[in-house]
Amino acid sequence: MNMKALRKSGVSMIVLALTAGLTFGCSGGGNNGATPAGSAKTAGEATGTQSNAPKERVKLRVEVFDRGNAPDGISITNSQMTQYVQKNFGDPNNIDVEFVPVPRSEEINQLNVLMAAGTAPDVIFTYNTGAAYNWAKQGGLMDLTEVLDQNGPNLKRYLESSLKYGVFEGKQYSIVARRVNLQKYSSFIRQDWLDAVGLPIPTTTEETYEALKAFKEKNLGGKRTIPLGFALAPDSYEPIIWSFIKEQSDEDRYLKSVTIGSREYPILADGHKDGMRFLNKLYQEGLLDPDFALDKDKKKKDENFVNGYTGLYSADTGTTFGGEASVANTLEKNVSGAQIVPFLPWTDFEGKNRQPAYTPSGMHIMVPSFSERAVEAIKYLDWMAQDEVIRYMAFGEEGVHHELVEGYPVRNGSDEDTRLLFNTGDVLIITNGIDFGSIDKNVEFMALGVSDNHREMAKTSRIYADKDAVQQPIQFDKPLDSEAKHSVIMLEKYEELLVKSTMAKPADFDKVYDAALKDFLDTAGNEVIAERTVAYEAMKK
Amino acid sequence: MVRRSRFTLADGMIVGVISVCVIACLAPFLHIAAVSLSSSGPITSGKVTLYPVGLSFDAYTRVLSDLAMLRSLGFTVLLTAAFTALAMLMTTMAAYPLSKADLKGRSVFMYVIVFTMFFSGGLIPEYLLIKELNLLDKAAVLVLPGLISPFYMIIMITFFRSTIPASLHEAAEIDGCGKFGILLRIVLPLSLPVLATLSLFYAVGRWNGFRDALFYISNQNLYPLQLKLYQMVMNNLISEVTLAEGAAVKELIPESLKAASIMFATLPILIVYPWLQRYFVSGLTLGSVKG
Amino acid sequence: MTKVNRNSYFYRNWPYYAMLVLPLAYFITFKYLPIYGVTVAFKEYNVFKGIGASEWVGLDVFKHIFSMESFYTALRNTFLLNGLDLIVGFPAPIVLALLLNEARFALFKRISQTMLYLPHFISWVIIGGMVYQVFATNYGVLNLLFAQVGLGPFPFLSDKNHWLVTYVSVGVWQSAGWGSIIYLAAMTGINRELYEAADVDGASRLRRIWHITLPGIRTTIIVLLILKIGDMADIGFDRPYIIGNVMVREYSDVLSTFIYRIGLQSGQFSNATAVGLFQAVVGLVFILSANYISKKTTDESIL
Repeated sequence: MNMKALRKSGVSMIVLALTAGLTFGCSGGGNNGATPAGSAKTAGEATGTQSNAPKERVKLRVEVFDRGNAPDGISITNSQMTQYVQKNFGDPNNIDVEFVPVPRSEEINQLNVLMAAGTAPDVIFTYNTGAAYNWAKQGGLMDLTEVLDQNGPNLKRYLESSLKYGVFEGKQYSIVARRVNLQKYSSFIRQDWLDAVGLPIPTTTEETYEALKAFKEKNLGGKRTIPLGFALAPDSYEPIIWSFIKEQSDEDRYLKSVTIGSREYPILADGHKDGMRFLNKLYQEGLLDPDFALDKDKKKKDENFVNGYTGLYSADTGTTFGGEASVANTLEKNVSGAQIVPFLPWTDFEGKNRQPAYTPSGMHIMVPSFSERAVEAIKYLDWMAQDEVIRYMAFGEEGVHHELVEGYPVRNGSDEDTRLLFNTGDVLIITNGIDFGSIDKNVEFMALGVSDNHREMAKTSRIYADKDAVQQPIQFDKPLDSEAKHSVIMLEKYEELLVKSTMAKPADFDKVYDAALKDFLDTAGNEVIAERTVAYEAMKK
Repeated sequence: MVRRSRFTLADGMIVGVISVCVIACLAPFLHIAAVSLSSSGPITSGKVTLYPVGLSFDAYTRVLSDLAMLRSLGFTVLLTAAFTALAMLMTTMAAYPLSKADLKGRSVFMYVIVFTMFFSGGLIPEYLLIKELNLLDKAAVLVLPGLISPFYMIIMITFFRSTIPASLHEAAEIDGCGKFGILLRIVLPLSLPVLATLSLFYAVGRWNGFRDALFYISNQNLYPLQLKLYQMVMNNLISEVTLAEGAAVKELIPESLKAASIMFATLPILIVYPWLQRYFVSGLTLGSVKG
Repeated sequence: MTKVNRNSYFYRNWPYYAMLVLPLAYFITFKYLPIYGVTVAFKEYNVFKGIGASEWVGLDVFKHIFSMESFYTALRNTFLLNGLDLIVGFPAPIVLALLLNEARFALFKRISQTMLYLPHFISWVIIGGMVYQVFATNYGVLNLLFAQVGLGPFPFLSDKNHWLVTYVSVGVWQSAGWGSIIYLAAMTGINRELYEAADVDGASRLRRIWHITLPGIRTTIIVLLILKIGDMADIGFDRPYIIGNVMVREYSDVLSTFIYRIGLQSGQFSNATAVGLFQAVVGLVFILSANYISKKTTDESIL
């Protein structure tokens, strides 16, 4: 109570800081004539300094995330990695590369503040598409189309699949990093429980349902048997809901879904209500955790799983297996005889395993419009897009930082390794994951990061996550104002829809669902669908 | 103190109620301490209640063996001490004159100060100001902007007014004591409880606060301890966004480290507070003014 | 004549004004110089143009906010939760301080005091996890205990009315101990001789508290009450957000979460500033009113 005073100035600061997050001043104001200055600059500089090193030494300031994990004696602004960059890119090009740390947890606020103060780095980045678009609309980002053409051949090649996600209304405002591994969700089931009830691994939704019921009947997890581990999080509900969506053409997806954050919600699509009805059935029959709506951070879901109460467990791909402390290993340690196996629980109306996948877009890398180093910035990213550079920045040198295991580089965890590569992902910004040439190879590589006993399952679960997967969200040629504006509201209302419909008495289901859906649409949904329709029509032309 | 020596039922009830409250406050804390000393398996399984399971000092060795952390610890101690001293000095300098009910212009000053409790410019103007004042990335930025809390100042004013009778002032003035002298030799010694309390509040606030450092400081040597701990915990949470970051996040920071951060926040206070408690003794000469 | 008097006043009292110089300089520099930021509430803020050059839109932002039904819900809930906090959470530290003051053994007192403020240091994220463990409807510690004695599961977190109890209780737990420090400090200022006299007169414990202790800290209580009333329109983000959940949103959505929803993620800086300004104005009105009423009725005030 008494700390409020000191915190008060902090609170108002925080509140206003929090809201400084995305600055969307232009409700109805439209574009501020975004980049006449920008294009003039890029054109001028591009022709003048195309090929060789410019005569005078210039400074290029590059953002880097500060996660507070720099080993002692090393700072993220002066480390082996930064020296490598300076030696191999900076010096040959007469550029001083300076890294500007930005705390990861406050990145949007910090960037806004730096932008406002005019001291933002020349290379900035964020995962937040709404923020990126916002800055573009306010005239704060440089149009990189020409600079990219003239200085970024490697970059264009490497980012072929992702660059288009940074084109807003025809202009390349952001260089979108490439996400390599697109698998999103994985599901697992207790093999030992299946054996106990004499059922094979389910291959359709109906079979999965029967298995869940059998688990419950036999109380295989004791008093607290939770056949289907479920939390109020996308990795729990997305796989199920999407399996109920019927036939969806692109047009359907544009007009009947909304994008919340980076996920596509088929709220008006045919089958969405059926999906919720199914969840209601599961809940009523006691096949879900009755407290699921309180589990916002999925901790309870994991806890139930590792304690052996859960039969079917789904999670983000790549999070179930890992080192000693992985949930899979913890489960096996806690419950003797527990054995999980990856599988595909849900089938859609065609018998396929339709599920969401990531788009190949990673983070947005941008150049502020007041920067004078757009050419150098693109050159830097272009240099980074070379195979040898990517390899070194991700794995270091063989024998020193990594060993070759089955032909793949695996970091050896030594001090040397940490000193060079502790923040590799935050420096190697053009790629999110490493591409070894094919999906199979990439899956193999990712599996090498988990403990031996689970390697095969890790591979299988990744392969399963690719099956019939649909990249989401579907893209317009620019992010939509209303979606950015209402992203939080929509998520909240969707969660309400989900929770209320799931927990309603079966007789009330239709009433409750319809009312909650109407609430969603009234508060934000209708506005968003309307804007999507307009944008879709515009795109079709 | 002359009290009945018999331990009455009322006494028992009081002890009982307090004990229940203590348990309610202590139990969660013990839980957190236990988590900070447990290994991640039992933590994820929810097996840790009030004592460590799978005893592991990992979180602590991690923090204490990190020289950067230790440096930060030292820095934060100095920072907190310096800040508290300066804040108390400034607050007292503001509170004492304003405690004089007959000070001309007092109302105006109070309104000016109370106004700032409600209205503020926001992050960006404040950042620009700090930049203009050349305070970015300097230790002073962790001291100056928060120097006086109007809330605490008002508390100090209240104490000065209510516990120091005017007659004492008059007597001192008659004795030829200057205004500064009165403050130093009479008022302050009698105000030890409130001075101790507010020092504690300022110190705890500075020790645990890190939002200002987050925005104004990029030099890692000037990070307060709580900021380093906060970053370590928050920046490495596996969340949907970090999943999108895929390869960038190699390592999960265990729950035990989160819990250890709380220990680092609390232990200094646990150590300092009992020492401060002796100032919570009634002022020496209150009884010297009769009637 | 007047000139001489004024000189005389300042001549006599200059040390006071000298002492005020630095503090006032502080307030002007760090609080008033940036205050132009509140104008963002009247502008269409463009972070690149800066506050000055952003377009002026007058009261449009406010009109937009006031047209949102969710704003009024958030406002109502803010008052609701703060009101409950005032009724329950304000007296709690006082009662605690009284109990501690009356406790017999010095060592017991000191140790208890130290234990009681521990919750203040636990970050809300951790508290959130613990709240779930304790209050969850089906497997929370409390409900498991109740089940042992045959009492049905209580929806502490899933029913909005029960949730109010949970919300306030957690708030009391978190802040009462720390809040009692200041009352205890105030109690040390009470003349010991009054207690001795009361003992001689054979006063009971309750009379002692009512006639000596409470009046002794009366000023502190009133001042803190006025300050608390000034906070009525302001509410922290952490407690409602972390303890709240989907099922109780009807009560848990407050102005701070409202700002988070329409401000942070949606990038409507002007909206958020406008709400903040609204809160500030309301808060100021409250504190001035409380101050006025207090001055008239109890002769205590802060302004």
